[in-house]
Amino acid sequence: MATAAPYLAARGVSKWFFGNPVLRDVSIELHPGRVHALLGENGAGKSTLINLLSGALPADRGTIEIDGTPIPRMTPATAQQAGIAVVQQELSLTGSLSIAENIGLGSYPRQFGMIDYAALADRAEAAANLAGLHEPLSIPVGTLPLGRRQMVEIAKALYRKPRVLILDEPTSSLSASEARILTELLQRLKREGVAILFISHRLPEVIALCQHVTVLKDGVCMADRPIEGTDAAGLVRLMVGRDPGDLFPHWTPAPSLATAIAVKGFSSGLMRDVDLEIRRGEVLGIGGLAGQGQEDLLLALYGAAPAETSAAEVNGVAGLPRSVSRANAMGIAYVPADRKREGLHISHSIITNLLLPGFARKSALELRNRSEEGQVAKDLASHFAIKGDLDRPAQALSGGNQQKVALAKWMSNQPQVLLLNDPTRGVDVETKREIYIMLRQFAIEGKAVVLLSSDTPELVHLCDRVVVIREGRIVSLLERAELSEQAIVAAAVGAETPEAAA
Amino acid sequence: MSEVPAHSAKAVLPLYWQVQRRRNADLFGLFAVVLAFLAAYGFLFPGFFTLQGFAKFTQSWFPLALVAMAQAILMLTGGISLAVGAMVSLGAVIAATTMAGPLGVTGGAAVVALAGLGIGAATGLIVVKLRLPAIVVTLAGSFIVGGAALLILPRPGGAVPEWLSDMLAGNTPAAFALIVLIVLLWKIYLATPLGLGIYAAGENPVGAYRSGIRVDRVLVAAYAISGLLSTGAGLFVAAQTGSGDPVIGTAFTLNSIAAAVLGGIGFLGGQGSMRGALAGSLLLSLMISVMFFLGFTPVSQYVAQGLIIIGAVAIPQFRRKR
Repeated sequence: MATAAPYLAARGVSKWFFGNPVLRDVSIELHPGRVHALLGENGAGKSTLINLLSGALPADRGTIEIDGTPIPRMTPATAQQAGIAVVQQELSLTGSLSIAENIGLGSYPRQFGMIDYAALADRAEAAANLAGLHEPLSIPVGTLPLGRRQMVEIAKALYRKPRVLILDEPTSSLSASEARILTELLQRLKREGVAILFISHRLPEVIALCQHVTVLKDGVCMADRPIEGTDAAGLVRLMVGRDPGDLFPHWTPAPSLATAIAVKGFSSGLMRDVDLEIRRGEVLGIGGLAGQGQEDLLLALYGAAPAETSAAEVNGVAGLPRSVSRANAMGIAYVPADRKREGLHISHSIITNLLLPGFARKSALELRNRSEEGQVAKDLASHFAIKGDLDRPAQALSGGNQQKVALAKWMSNQPQVLLLNDPTRGVDVETKREIYIMLRQFAIEGKAVVLLSSDTPELVHLCDRVVVIREGRIVSLLERAELSEQAIVAAAVGAETPEAAA
Repeated sequence: MSEVPAHSAKAVLPLYWQVQRRRNADLFGLFAVVLAFLAAYGFLFPGFFTLQGFAKFTQSWFPLALVAMAQAILMLTGGISLAVGAMVSLGAVIAATTMAGPLGVTGGAAVVALAGLGIGAATGLIVVKLRLPAIVVTLAGSFIVGGAALLILPRPGGAVPEWLSDMLAGNTPAAFALIVLIVLLWKIYLATPLGLGIYAAGENPVGAYRSGIRVDRVLVAAYAISGLLSTGAGLFVAAQTGSGDPVIGTAFTLNSIAAAVLGGIGFLGGQGSMRGALAGSLLLSLMISVMFFLGFTPVSQYVAQGLIIIGAVAIPQFRRKR
């Protein structure tokens, strides 16, 4: 398509974290006037590649080129001078500064060494208008809801008049109308000759918008080709590396279906007036777009957030747990999504992490029994196939193995209800498969498994029932026979499919 | 708190002033309390409304105002300094040993300023380059700097020229004029990319770095300015007392934190504003004076001071919960 040198390119770059390879010999070229999609599962290395392209991280091997010239030490400042702007998934905003000050951050117009607020107001307003941001520019960003902050982040990128625009899952927190504004904007920038790199999990969006695609899987480039002639199923196959069905264990119906938790008129956080029954022997999926209240539901069931209910029952006892220790005593365990900060004590040893919930059950001044502890940890490790020396810090493990530790540590409590918050995010495919098998096994043993997931195939293939949450309400309860990716996504975005409308 | 509709406000006020106005929004409560204490002070001490009384009051506030700013600028970066008091002592002993000698007042003031900037910048470099916590580095710094002050002047002594004492701490409101000047300089600094970068670097360092802010440079500059303000406060204290005392600054370390906290500066970085810290230092200074006039014993003053600080920090939390 383009014969000139690409605006920005990576040539054979590799990157390791804590000895784990996250990118291996990846190359990518961003050409002007083209929207380039970067696809891959969570943890495939997309964000790392972006960080290399934008100079936020140095490459361990390989080079970054701007206009065909290799750049030996790429930093955010050099990237900015070269007209590379990035919209990160983790926002780069400062809550206490105004919208305008955030938009201009790092490249303010100056007069006599001072920020030229008049020029800033004009330029920031132009960028804000492009992004469909009409709030007064003087209000602090900290007062805006998440979706609007994302638009500020986009306006911030536009303010720099980029030649290369990199967007890391920009639509995940946007409303439908905000997402449409963004799509129109990207079409327009493309016509103006901007090179765009677009990361998204929403494949229809990608196919509609992009001309070229690079697919990463476990840090390796699986495809680098024009998007024409491929369909969503083909892209999924490239991302997963096999048919999505193969990833999941064979489904068997649950042996018993006694109620584990039942709530009526449940409200907590974003959740409003919800009725829900969680049964033993099933994997209950919770789907929906990010941030619709799913996490509030899990936290309240776990006693970590206050909730109001008109009626609630847990394992035959009335009322929800009021504290985490009470929830644990009632046989409920929770595995958080952010395993680095909430799920594990990352700089402590694996064995300490595995034993921690057990310590909470002991009385305060009871002496420890080291040999018993060692045996418990060894059993857990072998049952969950956690390999290697248990005295290493948890951060030495790969994401998948960390997740197994975060799950395994609860098993000595014999939990009857497992609340899992996106347990396979950033986990490699093999470990995913192991986790799936474990979850089905838990269900067969008669435990209730609640699986909150951002990964729709997982909900379809692993769950007995799936509730879809939108704006704090259960908008759909899908039984096994009705489960399909379309049905879940349609309910999540509020676009009812004709069959489900009845 | 519904604001004036955006478009009409935009037509009237330029962006800079709109931003400034919104920064006051959270501080009205504090300003009201400061005004109430000012009124109480004026009532208890009617001499406040004479030029001389006003001059004396601003002089008693001045060093605390400076150290509150020195502390606030570091807390805005997400750091803190336990060396503020030692730096005040160092500034005082340098002033008292140099100004009466061959260097003269100008030379002595230059040495005080260079010591503050240099030690501040060195502290900042250690914090930034070695990625050590500010509280540890400045704790060590407080021993080194405090020790240096004792080496320079083992016991109270030295001298500051009388005319300088008269000018700074006499019957003219020179101290107040200096505060106005320092506040203006701060406003100018905050209108530079390096100054505004303090907020970004303090609240979201990774985001600031990715936005192209030179976070390291912002932090080192902030530490240098903080050091300058601290030794400057020491110079003023020396002028007030006419001599140098190597431990005179000790109380300022914790009082500077108290003033900043009273003024709404958060410990997590990027939260609060300098006008808040100044108001906090004024409030602390007024509280001490008012309690003195009301006949509180020094011990009960400390207890009351502590209770007021806890209350001031707790009230916004209660308000948020409701």
